[in-house]
Parts: sequence; C-alpha cells; structure tokens
Amino acid sequence: MPIEFTLNRQPVTAPDAKAEMPLLWFLREDLRLKGTKFGCGIGQCGACTVLSNGSAIRSCVMRVADAKGLSIVTIEGLAGDERHLHPVQQAWIETDVPQCGYCQGGQILAAVALLERSPNPTDTDIDAAMTNLCRCGSYVRIRKAVKAAALRTKTSQRSLRS
Amino acid sequence: MRAPSIAPPLDRRTFLKASASAAGALLISIPLPPRSSLAARTVEASPSWCVYLTLHPDNSAELMSPVMEMGQFMRTTGPMILADEMDLDWSRVTLTRDEPVRMIRDDKGEVTYQYGQANAGGSQTVRNNWDYMRRAGATVRRMLIEEAADRWQVPADTLITRDSFVMDQAGTRRISYGELAGKAAQRRVTPEQVELKQRSDYRIMGKDAGVADIRDIVMGRPLFGIDEDYPNALQAVIERAPALNAEIAGYNKNAALAVPGVRQLIELPRKVEDHWPGGDAQVLAAGIAVLADSLWAAMQGRKALAARWKNAATDDSTLQLQQFHRLVQSNDTAEKLVDDGDVDAAFATADLVLDHTYEKPLFAHACMEPYNCIADIRSDGATIVTGHQVPHWVAREVESITGLDALKVKVISKRMGGGFGRRAELDYLREAVTLSHRIKRPVKVTWTREDEIQRDFFDAAAVMRVRAALKNKRIVGWHHRQAQTRGWPEARDYFPAKVVSNYRVERFPPTSNIPCGPWRAPTQLQWAFATESMLDELAHAAGEDPLAFRLQWLQPYQEHPIENWAARSIHSGRMAACYEAAARLADWKRPRPKGTGLGIGGHFTFGTYAACVLEVSVSDNDELKILRAWGAIDCGFAINPNHIRAQMEGGFIDGLNAALFNAVHVSEGRVVNDNFGKLRWMRLREAPLSIEVEIIDSGYAPTGVGEPPVPPAGAALANAIFAACGKRVRRMPIADSFKI
Repeated sequence: MPIEFTLNRQPVTAPDAKAEMPLLWFLREDLRLKGTKFGCGIGQCGACTVLSNGSAIRSCVMRVADAKGLSIVTIEGLAGDERHLHPVQQAWIETDVPQCGYCQGGQILAAVALLERSPNPTDTDIDAAMTNLCRCGSYVRIRKAVKAAALRTKTSQRSLRS
Repeated sequence: MRAPSIAPPLDRRTFLKASASAAGALLISIPLPPRSSLAARTVEASPSWCVYLTLHPDNSAELMSPVMEMGQFMRTTGPMILADEMDLDWSRVTLTRDEPVRMIRDDKGEVTYQYGQANAGGSQTVRNNWDYMRRAGATVRRMLIEEAADRWQVPADTLITRDSFVMDQAGTRRISYGELAGKAAQRRVTPEQVELKQRSDYRIMGKDAGVADIRDIVMGRPLFGIDEDYPNALQAVIERAPALNAEIAGYNKNAALAVPGVRQLIELPRKVEDHWPGGDAQVLAAGIAVLADSLWAAMQGRKALAARWKNAATDDSTLQLQQFHRLVQSNDTAEKLVDDGDVDAAFATADLVLDHTYEKPLFAHACMEPYNCIADIRSDGATIVTGHQVPHWVAREVESITGLDALKVKVISKRMGGGFGRRAELDYLREAVTLSHRIKRPVKVTWTREDEIQRDFFDAAAVMRVRAALKNKRIVGWHHRQAQTRGWPEARDYFPAKVVSNYRVERFPPTSNIPCGPWRAPTQLQWAFATESMLDELAHAAGEDPLAFRLQWLQPYQEHPIENWAARSIHSGRMAACYEAAARLADWKRPRPKGTGLGIGGHFTFGTYAACVLEVSVSDNDELKILRAWGAIDCGFAINPNHIRAQMEGGFIDGLNAALFNAVHVSEGRVVNDNFGKLRWMRLREAPLSIEVEIIDSGYAPTGVGEPPVPPAGAALANAIFAACGKRVRRMPIADSFKI
C-alpha cells in the first residue's frame, strides 16, 4: 500500500518499498528537498527537524511509514513564498542568527513549533524546546530571535484583529 | 543584461587588468605592490588579488569573495572592503558564489591562486587581503572617475564618488557607475593615481552588515556541498577500519551487492604520511567503498558488508594521559622550546612557588555538515565540487592521484557547514578522487557522523605542569612542562612569553599514534587554560584581585616583536585593555550572591587579543550553571562589528563546549564515543543567556576574529567556578567534575 501524507500543503505518495526509509532520506534523496539536513542519523542533533502536524520532530529517526496521514512541513515549505516569509524566518534575518548556516533550518522549525505551543515563551520554555545543536554556537542569537519572533507574531495578530 | 564592460588591456605595464570570467563577470586583478612595503604587515602574501565584479547598467553590482564561507563571514567582509573603496551603494550589491577558483603555477611550478589568497584558515583572510581589496576598489573607483571626467571634459581631481555615482563637488551633475562601467574598464590607471580612502571616509566598513545568503539559509535552499547533485554520479559511502592502522580481514561481498541499487565495491588502501603536527600519521583508513545509485542504497550496502578487521592498535587515550602525567612529574629530560633568563635562580629566591598540573583531552571537530566531495575525473580534466578550506590543495591532490594537470581541475568551492581546521584535511577529497578515477564516472562521497568522529584529526590531548614563582607579589619565574599526543605549543608567541623574563617551556616528544590536526586555534585553548588558571591561582595566593593582578602583571604596557607566521608583535597593553573592558561590562567589582562567581580569561593569537568574563553559579551539590558572559576584543580596525560580535559569541560558546564536554576517548586504537549523545555537545540551555561584547579600537590594521575568542573560555570557566564555590578544576572535560 502506498503511503500517503501531506508535504508542504501538497499531497505526497511514497511507494511501499520506502516504508522503512527514514523520512530524512526520502525528502533529500527521492524528493530532492535538501533543506532538511543530515547531521547525526540518530535523532540527537536536530539538523533534520521537520514539522509533523505542527510539532518539531527529527526526520532521521522517523520512518516514511510513520508519516502516513500526517501533515509534514519542511523548511522549504514554511514560507508561502519569497515575499511572505514566516515571522520566525523574518526574526532570524533581523537578528542575523546564522554563522555557517547548516543547522538553521532545523532551528527555525523548532522555534516555529515552540511558538505555536507557547506564543510568549519564557527563557525556561526556550531552554526546554530549543534542543537542536548549533556547532557554531549561535545560541545567544537564536534565543534573541525566538523572542523577536514572538513579538512579531503578537504584533501581526494584533494588527489583523484591528 | 551585463554591462559590456570587458576589454582586456594589452599593455603589460598597465596597472589594472580587466578580463571576462567564465560567467561573464568583470574580473579585475591587480599585481602585488613591491614586497618590501608589505613585508612588515603581510605574511604569505599572495602574488595578486582578484575580485569578481560586475557593474550592471541599472547601477546594481555583483561581487564575490574568492574566500568561501564557513561561518567566518568572509563572504560579507571581503566584499565590504572592496565596495567601500569603490564607493558602491551597498544596498545595491548582490553577493554571488560558485565561481571556480582560479589557479596558476608559480615560478617553481607549484599550483597557487591566480588572483589572491583563497585559503580560509589561521584567522588570516582579512589580514592577508586587507591591502589588496582596498587597492582593487580604489583602482576601479579611479577608472570610473577618469571616464566621467573625460565625458564632462573636466579634470578628474574635481570629481568625487558616492553610492555608485560619480559627481562633481557641487553635486549639480552625476552619472552612475553602471553607465560608465563599459568604457571605464578600458582605461589605464597607474598606481600613483590610486588613492586609498582615509578611515574617516569609510561608509560601509565600520558598520554592521549581515550574513551573505541569509535568505537562502532561512528558506532552506541548497547551499552546501552535501546538497549538490551531479549528473550521472554514483553515491559512495565507505566502511573504514574503525581502529587506527587496521587492515581489512574480510567482508560479505555478495550481501552488499545484493542490496538493490548497489553497483560496485572498491577496496581503498590505508595511507600513512607526514602530517601536521608531529610526523607520520594515518591519513586514510583502509576501507571498502560501496557505490550505489542512491546514498540510501549505499548506506544499506555498507551495513550488509559486515566487515571484519585485523586490528593491532593499542592506543588508549586514558592511558596516554596517565603517561603524560608521569612524564611531566618525572625528572626526565624534556626538549626545551624556550629558556629565557635564569629560571632556576628565580625559583630559588622566590617568596612563593605554585606547582599545578592541568589536563586536556582530545577535542573532536564535529563540523555540523558531514564531509562530502563530488569528483568527476575525466581523461581531459576534472571537476571537484566540495567545501574545502584550501582550494589549491584540492587541485594539487587531483594531480597527484590522477596525473592530470592541476590547472585542468575545476574546483567549485561550496559553502561549508563548519570547517574549524578539519576541512583543511584531504581525506574525503582523496577518497572521491580515487573512486572516480578508478570507475571513470562521477562519484559523490558522503561521510556519516560516526565516520567523521572516528576518523578525526583531533586537537591534541595534553598534560601541562606549570610552576610559577612569586616575589613581592610579582611573577618572577614561569616553567611550563608539557606532554601531548602530538605537536607542541608555540610558546614564544603567547603570554606569559615576553612578560615573564625568566621563562622556560619544555615538551616531551610525542609517542601517540592518534592523528591530530588543526582545530580552531590549535592547542591554544589548553595553553590559555593552563596559563590563565595559573594566573588566577597566583592572584588568590597573593591575596590579590585576579583582574588587578593581571593588569599589574602586564605592566609596563609595551609591544614586543615576535616571529610568528601570523603575527609580528605582541602587546601587553592591548591585552590589558581587553581584560579591563570585559571586566567593566561585567561590573566586575559588584559582589555576587553566594554560590555565584565571575572568572576572567584572555588570550592573544593571530594578531588579535580577546578576553572573556564569565558568570556561573555552583550549588552545594556541585550543580553548575553558566549564567552570562562579557567579552572584549582588539582585532584592529573593526570592518564589520556585527560579525566580530558574532564570532565572539560563537567562539566563547565553542570554547565553553570544549572545556565542558568535548572529549574523545580512544581505546585499542578506536574511538569509543563516535556520535552526539556519546560525545556530549553544548545545547542552548547550557550556553550563556547573553554575551555582551566590546570591540576595542586600537587604531591597528584589521586582524582575524575566527579563532582568538575560543581559547579564553576554558580558563574563564575554571576561574569562575573557583570564585563561585572555592573548588579549583584543573582537568577538562569540566563536566566530569560538576553536574550540568
């Protein structure tokens, strides 16, 4: 039975032969979506983070079979288009977070998931949710950017209501 | 549409040369000024400098830094220098990438860069290229002015430039660079006509600029070597001997070939050669390459190999550290690297002698992007797509493996997901080149995290015994005695050299087979850990404040000449100013609550001075929490303050991670902790909540910032722990002694 799920708001079907393959490699190799990164292959570093029904998960330890029926969003699918970046992406640019940049797609998605759950995260919330490794040590700016994104989201919601 | 601005001049005496690059960009190269005028400031100067520059008719500009990005920000900093001297409108500059690296042979037939110093390492890219970038920009600006002067029939010296326009001084008429570019590129400009800007006239440098490619990064576009596809390439992974110097004993060939998509297996021999630092080392492990249609298939084939190995290695990192302790405590004769003044007399007449030993394990690199390389070796040339810190070595190595002319190797340098010195090694390149050469087809080699840690060239493990003599609360003698897996300290070029007149450094020749290599400020974190911990211990023993003790110790403030490949002098006053500034930011004198303490550490390297103050708390049951950090750096003129601050933040965190967690264990020649989880790495919750940075403007020319912020962090942490709870930690990883 082919495995059906939603990827970046589009329906996707994976052949049954791919059932045991980690989602990471299905995305990178079969769909040529290279924004989801390989870092450790054992769910430790978070470079491969994607959103699964809004939660941040590590796609290197999720089988394609387990994606069945889920809505998966990768970093490529976070923004509607180039001119409409997600507030977290905007905050990342404004705070100038990246150094080498390799882990940042995963960091951004982890932050998106956090802000969905906790729109006004405390430092403790950020500590608990932002567990992805950044080898360059951009953590101080990641923390700042998460807070800036929270503020942006609040402001944009307020302006939508008014 | 590109400006039709390209016309190579024929006159060899012409100062500026312009020609079309493969992609149609205007390529400008400027010969090296006479060496004598630069020798004092520029070591390893390149023969010439090149910038990739296109001026478009709509007055936008494209620039490319020939030095590739690995998180050190050169893709922003390099173009800033050029753009400022050109008086470009920075908001209309696009930063391009992926041009092949241009190479030639020098007089001795060695392969080198045609137009500049494209290496990324040793914190040298800014320092090496500062003069060339500025001259290139100023030359282009002069060409544009001359062209405008000709059109308006006015003397060139009456014209000025601003934001990509040439204008007259009254501002009554102006003309865009884009309009002028085509004709301007055919002009000749002599060195005498080229005038560099005064610092007060900089409009781009000295201001914050952001990360090149940041939109692509946040949108997840492919930028890195690992993201690259190549037509007709087979994907390869390699099962390498897990233990040092092991050989293949056997493997299940049929099972691997039975995996769908697996095409071929190729055995790769191990290779031993002279390797920095410290002589012969295994630079390539014996391995079995699995080549397949997809990376996933290759990985499954690798598992199916169930390879067996003949392993005789006995290297054990724990036993080696124990041996180093015995050596430094023994009376055995060691090699003297420095022996200034009369050390024995200084100790004989001291009021107080402290004698402490500091330990440091093997550090892994763990670049976030696992190593990868695409090699397409053909009979008439080759293409290599990879992220490498030293692109001309890539071409040279292809020549050495395949016999192809290095100048027929097209090297496409990709953005690197971290380098830290590890991407200056050749192993992942050699594997891809060897395989593609063998099967006459493009091959992409990809490493896993386990491959990367098992086959690392570590920052050396070391034990350092430091004896220091105090008389009248002044340091009168210093004796550093060290044993390490590989290498040696550059003891003459770091403090306490020059400041302590009776100064001896000894090391024991290495006996370990464990390969070591450059690691972001190689072996310097350990040096600063031992030196700056001892300074702290001396201050406390003398009843002095650790900051005041350091400032007193560094006097009289003066600049001492040194002979280091990357620096010409060391200045005690510049170091002192960093300590003072970091302490001022931290509000050093303000008493902290019980269990909370501040520690300070500093280091000079590669021409740059950095100091760090760290605040930590330690509970009664040894729970350690890192609270905040403050830093100061003197890297000469600050070209891009934003990214200097970013390097300080990231460098401190890298140093803290190294001191707390980064410890690779080797048993029977094999790495025991070969992935994250087993090798702990700092996460956001363990990092400082904030890091505040002051950049000190000392008026010197700019120097690098990639490495200097790393070494102070370990000592600042140990010193802060002591201030918080009175426990002195002299052994890394510090997380072995405290709960975090």
